[in-house]
Amino acid sequence: MYYDHFVIPFLVGTIFMFAVIVWKWGRWLWMLPGGDKRAIGRGIFSMATVRAVGEVVSECLLHRKIFRVNPLLGYMHMSLAFGWFLLIATGWIEAACVLGGGTPLHAHVFFRYFDPAVHTGWNPFSFVMDLLLLMVLSGVALAWFKRMRSRAMGMKRTTKHVLIDRVALSSLWCIFPLRLLSESLTAAAKHNGGFLTGSLGDLFAAWLSPDALAVCTETAWWLYSCALGIFFVAMPFSRYMHIFTEVPLIFLRRYRIRSEEQPKSFDNFQIQACSRCGICIDSCQLQRDLGIRNVQSVYFLRDRRYGRLTDEVADNCLMCGLCEARCPVGIDLNTLRLNSRQQRKDAPVLTRYDYLQGIDRSVGTGKVGYFAGCMTLLTPATLQSMQRIFEAAGEEVWWADRDGGTCCGRPLKLSGEVQAARKIMESNKALFAKHGITTLVTSCPICLKVFREDYDLQGIEVLHHTEYILRLVRAGRLAIDSSGEAFTYHDPCELGRGSGIYEPPRELIRMAGTLAEPEHNRREALCCGSSLANTVIDDGQQLRIGAAMTAELEQTGAQTIVTACPLCKKAIVRNVSVRVADISQVVAEHLRPVVGSRAAAAETGAAASRSARPA
Amino acid sequence: MENKDKRVIVVGGGVAGMQTALLLRERGAEPIIVEREERLGGKLAGWHKLFPTFTPAGEVLEPLRGRVAEAGIEVRTGRTVEEVTPTGVVLNGGERLDGAATVVCSGFEVFNARIKEEYGYGIYDNVFTTVDIERMMNEGRVRTAQGNEPRRIAFLHCVGSRDEKVGAHHCSKVCCITGVKQAIEMKELFPTAEVYNFYMDIRMFGPGYEELYRKAQLDYRINFIRGRISEASQTIDGWVQIKAEDTLIGRPLRMSVDMLVLIVGMKGGASNGAFARSGGLTVAPNGFMQPRDAFFGNVASERDGIFYAGAVTAPKNIGECLNEGAAAAERVAAYLKL
Repeated sequence: MYYDHFVIPFLVGTIFMFAVIVWKWGRWLWMLPGGDKRAIGRGIFSMATVRAVGEVVSECLLHRKIFRVNPLLGYMHMSLAFGWFLLIATGWIEAACVLGGGTPLHAHVFFRYFDPAVHTGWNPFSFVMDLLLLMVLSGVALAWFKRMRSRAMGMKRTTKHVLIDRVALSSLWCIFPLRLLSESLTAAAKHNGGFLTGSLGDLFAAWLSPDALAVCTETAWWLYSCALGIFFVAMPFSRYMHIFTEVPLIFLRRYRIRSEEQPKSFDNFQIQACSRCGICIDSCQLQRDLGIRNVQSVYFLRDRRYGRLTDEVADNCLMCGLCEARCPVGIDLNTLRLNSRQQRKDAPVLTRYDYLQGIDRSVGTGKVGYFAGCMTLLTPATLQSMQRIFEAAGEEVWWADRDGGTCCGRPLKLSGEVQAARKIMESNKALFAKHGITTLVTSCPICLKVFREDYDLQGIEVLHHTEYILRLVRAGRLAIDSSGEAFTYHDPCELGRGSGIYEPPRELIRMAGTLAEPEHNRREALCCGSSLANTVIDDGQQLRIGAAMTAELEQTGAQTIVTACPLCKKAIVRNVSVRVADISQVVAEHLRPVVGSRAAAAETGAAASRSARPA
Repeated sequence: MENKDKRVIVVGGGVAGMQTALLLRERGAEPIIVEREERLGGKLAGWHKLFPTFTPAGEVLEPLRGRVAEAGIEVRTGRTVEEVTPTGVVLNGGERLDGAATVVCSGFEVFNARIKEEYGYGIYDNVFTTVDIERMMNEGRVRTAQGNEPRRIAFLHCVGSRDEKVGAHHCSKVCCITGVKQAIEMKELFPTAEVYNFYMDIRMFGPGYEELYRKAQLDYRINFIRGRISEASQTIDGWVQIKAEDTLIGRPLRMSVDMLVLIVGMKGGASNGAFARSGGLTVAPNGFMQPRDAFFGNVASERDGIFYAGAVTAPKNIGECLNEGAAAAERVAAYLKL
């Protein structure tokens, strides 16, 4: 009953696809570490599940985040995903209504063919199904259009696909036109079509003889079934694995499972949830400024998935986080990149770090610790300004590394040498504990990030100097006078996207003068090019990335370019003719002398005369 | 031949520009020198004595200036050139100077030591550049910021040269010998001072240079330490504490000096990009202008009618710049069929 040989390709494909998916997911879930499994257990009967369902609808079906990139691109993804989903769901309902429950799977999918009724009047199901098919077909048409004119859909560059993706893509594109053809041909004989398939069916009925119609109908259904079958067989090995994998990813993420320093089974869900949409490509400065076209996140994930990741691809990334911020699937791209570096690299001779034992060149006794960081020691104007700010606020400071100290460990971590980085971190952690500080201020966002994320500093609040200075101002311990100077601000990746600190530096700058934003700012800010995370590109290439970024800063016409990262500062200063200053310098130059306090006594030279100027 | 057909625009009135103009004049051309400063002389005008002979800079500069004046060569000072073409240049303000050929002698820029912030130039009181030292010597008073005679002086070679971090891969060539020259001068001024030169290589390319380097070590007891300074900080009494590595003995070292002198390198001219755009020329990857070829086309550009002389194409010493001026004049004369 309800059987024809043409359903075989479809059935084989479907069974194969679900078998592979179940096997893949089952294995990944099985291999999750105990902690992650317990997290699932805790989360599954909580609100997290409800929220996950909501997110699945909004992202897997509606693709809301892609709409934000470009409405047309969003519609394309939505019409294919949501349209197809509704087509299946509505088809299912219709088949269940007409054929009754318990009918085999293929009878639902090829319902029009097996439809026993000869319709005479208007059938609401046919109408809705045709409407949905039209929606999907419009998505397919847009996909074709995107091949030719991707710019019109907000993408300058699109992904270069591998063979299996091309096979899956071609069959996917055939599925819906073939469905239209098959259903129309069937409607020609059975008159069970809607406004689309019915009208086309009438045309076919007028053109073709009944015999020709029968042959054509049979052939079309065979082709439709084959297209489905090929797509389903190719699907688990192609980018389309994302269609189903994004669903468990959303749930697991809601249960607070994350990728970590070491690769783990959960990574597979993230990697195979990548649809290779290519939205990450345009934002990549390596692509934009240097023409490097094989290392972007989409290619990194692809290479890692198929086991052909090379050092060149894994290491050639600024980890600026621009693509991560735009990724519609929300894949934790930087962590995955890091843990694959670690996987292939980590074999240091750890005894080389034995010299760290008991190293302590710190001075001072304050409860507030200041960790300049290696790069701040190379930009002494920042260090000097911090010294003046501490003095002006009357803060007693413990100077962790003013006379030389140990690296924070993040550069080693970024290059994949996690164990070595740990050694350094432990040494610093012991140093902080020994001096009993309660606040740790650093001028370097790279240090900030590692202190916050990896050090687990119990009882010590870690602050970037922008946050700390703003706090001093708010507490009335510092006052900043405006000189009316025109500033612009560069968001360091590690401070902005990396640590979510966007407003404190801006607030401080507005106290000192006016602020003009460059074209790309905040979450969209560009990298200075000098990222420690990239160990492949050379200085000349870094310079070119920096030049493109600093051009935007110079276009603001600001007299001074301000940033809050010593590494960014050194990168910018190589490319511009205007003054470049750390936010601490700007503050120190605009401090209002407090009459009668020791702060006023400490005020000397240019800064004092400048801040004495009326605003 | 009309006067206008013999007119040659010389961009830049340093030693190379003056020499080119003088020799062109001898050949019957009508050179005009455009100089951005108020006086002719270029970078040499700020220099005290020249290596390796310790000849006062004025002994080279003044005769050149005098001869330019004597020959009645037209000089436009205080004007910058914004565009160059084979048939003339455009000055700031849009004024056009027509000519039958153009010689670009616009020289180089001194590396801005503030970019290497770790050395504290402009931040610490007692960090100077070689340019500052020449100026102080010309003023006749070399002192620390506190007004004292320096007791321990460190020279740091290769600031802004051979340094990928600032995008300068090239060797500025003349700074090694400048460092040796100034170290000797300091030792002569302050015989009891300790003088250290921190270097990564010492490149003594000219006649008498290596001999002077040897003399600096043997006779003047100047200490040459192979290793770059990594960073500097200021002590409470205003001294500069430097961190370096002596790579010959493989040990890190710290030292306090009351004068740190940064031996700044040479950079391609700031207007090279504009010249390249307007003249259809090329800026080489090192930032200097690209001559036609390295052997027979040193003073020729890629474009007929535009020529080069001096440090516009690469770091050069005074003697080389003077020779290039002569060579360029020769090529221009042949081009104009004089």
